[in-house]
Amino acid sequence: MWRAALLGAVLLQAGAAAAQQAAPAPPLAASSQTLVLWFLLATLALVVTVFVLVVSLIVIKMQPLLRQLYARPTVHNTWSGKVLGLFVGDNRLVTGENRDELMGHEYDGIAEYDNDLPPWWKYSFVGTVIFAIGYFGYYQVAKAGPNSHDEYETEMRQATLLVSADADDPNKLTTYTALGTPADLSAGKGIFVTNCAPCHGPNAEGKVGPNLTDEYWLHGGEINHVYKTIKFGVQGKGMVAWKGKLSGKQILQVASYVQSLQGSKPAGAKEPQGEKETIKPLAAK
Amino acid sequence: MQAEYIPPGTAASSPLTQKGLAPAVDTFYYDNKIVRDFGIATVFWGIAGMMVGLLAAFQLAQPEANLHTSFTTFGRIRPLHTNAVIFAFVGNGIFMGVYYSLQRLCKAAMYSKVLSRVHFWGWQLIILSALISLPLGFTTSKEYAELEWPIDIAITLVWVVFGWNMFGTIARRRERHLYVGIWFYIATLITVAVLHLVNSAEVPVSWMKSYSAYAGVQDALVQWWYGHNAVAFFLTTPYLGLMYYFLPKAAGRPVYSYRLSIIHFWSLIFIYIWAGPHHLLYTALPDWAQSLGVAFSVMLLAPSWGGMINGLLTLRGAWDKVRTEPVLKFMVVAVTAYGMATFEGPMLSLKNVNAIAHFTDWIVAHVHVGALGWNGFLTFAILYWLWPRLYRTELYSKKLANTHFWLGTVGILVYALPLYWAGFTQGLMWKQFNAEGMLQYPNFLETVLQIVPMYYLRGIGGTLYLSGVFLMVFNLIKTARAGTLLAAEKAQAPALVPAELVEAHQGGHWHRWIERRPFQLALWATVAIAIGGIVEMIPTFLVKSNVPTIASVKPYTPLELQGRDLYIREGCSNCHTQMVRPFRSETERYGEYSKAGEFVYDRPFLWGSKRTGPDLHRVGGKYPHSWHYNHMLDPTTMSPGSIMPPYPWLFENKLDNSTLPAKIRVLQRLGTPYPRGYDQQALADARRQADGIAQDLKKEDIEVMSDKEIVALIAYLQRLGTDIKVKPEQVATAAQ
Repeated sequence: MWRAALLGAVLLQAGAAAAQQAAPAPPLAASSQTLVLWFLLATLALVVTVFVLVVSLIVIKMQPLLRQLYARPTVHNTWSGKVLGLFVGDNRLVTGENRDELMGHEYDGIAEYDNDLPPWWKYSFVGTVIFAIGYFGYYQVAKAGPNSHDEYETEMRQATLLVSADADDPNKLTTYTALGTPADLSAGKGIFVTNCAPCHGPNAEGKVGPNLTDEYWLHGGEINHVYKTIKFGVQGKGMVAWKGKLSGKQILQVASYVQSLQGSKPAGAKEPQGEKETIKPLAAK
Repeated sequence: MQAEYIPPGTAASSPLTQKGLAPAVDTFYYDNKIVRDFGIATVFWGIAGMMVGLLAAFQLAQPEANLHTSFTTFGRIRPLHTNAVIFAFVGNGIFMGVYYSLQRLCKAAMYSKVLSRVHFWGWQLIILSALISLPLGFTTSKEYAELEWPIDIAITLVWVVFGWNMFGTIARRRERHLYVGIWFYIATLITVAVLHLVNSAEVPVSWMKSYSAYAGVQDALVQWWYGHNAVAFFLTTPYLGLMYYFLPKAAGRPVYSYRLSIIHFWSLIFIYIWAGPHHLLYTALPDWAQSLGVAFSVMLLAPSWGGMINGLLTLRGAWDKVRTEPVLKFMVVAVTAYGMATFEGPMLSLKNVNAIAHFTDWIVAHVHVGALGWNGFLTFAILYWLWPRLYRTELYSKKLANTHFWLGTVGILVYALPLYWAGFTQGLMWKQFNAEGMLQYPNFLETVLQIVPMYYLRGIGGTLYLSGVFLMVFNLIKTARAGTLLAAEKAQAPALVPAELVEAHQGGHWHRWIERRPFQLALWATVAIAIGGIVEMIPTFLVKSNVPTIASVKPYTPLELQGRDLYIREGCSNCHTQMVRPFRSETERYGEYSKAGEFVYDRPFLWGSKRTGPDLHRVGGKYPHSWHYNHMLDPTTMSPGSIMPPYPWLFENKLDNSTLPAKIRVLQRLGTPYPRGYDQQALADARRQADGIAQDLKKEDIEVMSDKEIVALIAYLQRLGTDIKVKPEQVATAAQ
């Protein structure tokens, strides 16, 4: 009795706590409220565990008595009797009985038993049917759950919270200066080799894309112009937009690496494209 | 635990003789030769199909394994592998088992020896035509239905022959009631016929080219209704029928539960047919159809497991035999693999699991547990059981059969586990964002190279499995040599007493009523399998809101259409999807997600089912022509380390425009709004567009004749997904 009372009290408290949470509370109190909620939940878990332990202890202790009860024909064949069977080690409720009575027919020597459907199978079938009806009803009849498009919208909304509202305006030019440390340049080289080399050549000598080592530029050779070209790409000319694939820092690293290649005159260089624009060499390190 | 089991037949008298009726005893002969012939065909095509599978498997690890010919490149031999294994190996396995068991369960010889022969040779010729036409690039691109329209007609005719022979035999049976195995055979016969006829609806353009009667979303729905139920009614129901005959026979035990077989038979065939849309979760298929697919897939779990538990529980009291009898060992693993695959299926149908697993090797692993475990092992069990009986001798070597069993079992594990690992890894890598809110692995290739070692391992697993099959061939040949084929097996049974004279048929289990009425059984099975398809398809076809129109979506130009048919010929859709799903990870990687209205001119649809390479739906305009030119010539120049094979023949072959006007006319008939008389103008338009592309390429120092196939393919790839493309970058360039 006391256990039930305690359980009730705890549940009530948890409910009250949840109600409080729902009410608009000052932001400072939020963390202490969560703490209280966790404390209550932990208490609840503890109480439930103790309850289960005590019940199983009683069942084990009373095993001979329960067995006697179970053996009575009036109990054995009732529903509650079957549940009792679970406690005394008779799994009739789950596995069913194998009476192994033949059906009285046979085909080419194959006979068939008249056994019941295994109850666990039957109930899981019923369970999946209930799930299916609930699932379809929830999503398609009541339209209570999100459809694919709604899910996508939610995901994108969440993403905007994660990603800073960095000015994604391609018309605005950044004001970075080229990076010059060996660490940044070697990181830039790594990015270049995996992402840029297929089109611009392993030494930036130009293949499908233009030569990046000469003084001629199609979309501007100043570091912030290169940054912009990498970030947003050039639609229709094959330059891929790398935003979303490379971070801002990575783009700056690879742009700096490209600048460091100015005048490197690699073998097989592609002829110049675009306008001549001399880039200030990198500041000495 | 259970009552002592006395095998039937040992009882003194049957109910009939007790009643004092004295039926005449007929003598007749079972045709064993046809069973043997189908058995040989099973093994022969099984080895062929698995060898092609191995070749395809190693190509994914080592693209050079394409042997540098168009005929043996992955896109063409992957359909060859699937068709060979499903329709040649398993197909002949079905016929072997059905021809053996049906005669004995009906106590009658096959209806017609001529029909049996026609069926046998007709089926082998169909397989041969697949073996020739698929490597040549004749394909509809619809999975497991790739064969072109003349072969589709041949399949229909041979299937009718099979049905005629089967129902003829059932009509002449000397056993009043039909055994559960036969219910499954009947359901198979009817459903495969319906699936094949509906999905193969296509309009011929020429001898070996046709366009699907359905377009886009509708084509996808029909295709996966077919594809899913090819698994259900070609790989599952006939094999359950075979299990119900051969497993109790081999174990010498009665079937566990007659009632379970009734419930699971009807629920299985009714529910299976609805589950097709689970192949199209998160695609442009309407949401209600996707939800139906999920709901019915979950409900499919118990009916599938009904078959498994009825099989496994039948072995109660025979587990000691399992330890020594290779036939039973194979059966136990087969039924267990069936249980695992049918548990995994509903789980993969849950949308959140599917979001990770779909398009990855996880699915490949899943189907191979079914194919290698369930179909393969049950086939081997039946062969080991049949051969000594057909040849009236003992199996040559149990030891070899046991070795085969272990090689096969280890082979399945070494095949499947690495692919599960690979699929899970890649699926998560595609979705992984870094702290800055960007894709962790923006380069698709990186996620491929990560799992290449797994591709090697799966190839080794397949090799182990196949080597076991070779042991079986040796064992069966030795067994056959030791005995002689009993081509016609003598049997006796009393003729069937007219039903009205037999009082015993009154009462009994209610289901007995339909078991003595093959026509009604077939009719109700047809009703059961028709409902799901009708409910899903008719609204998708008739209700306009299911495929919202997009005004900017226009038909393909003639050159793009030609390029699209090359894409189909080369089997690009075996590795590349055209379906960007509504996930942030996909719209970041590929662009705007795919909409139903974009596919209205796609005959057939080319959404694909596996991403060995990246999705291509938004590839149009992403790269310059020269990128595609170089990439198709040697993919590794543009993507170092790529496992895509090169396609040099596209640069040598001249584009065949001879059927172009016919193609335009067929598409017009199907509803594509080309202007009246456009078929006469199409060729000139195609040439003009090709010249334009060749000139663009020239600007980038690439000299190419505008009449080569590659130009058409580039035209198609550059068109893909551009009709609705939002182009903020263009605005930006303009503002500059």
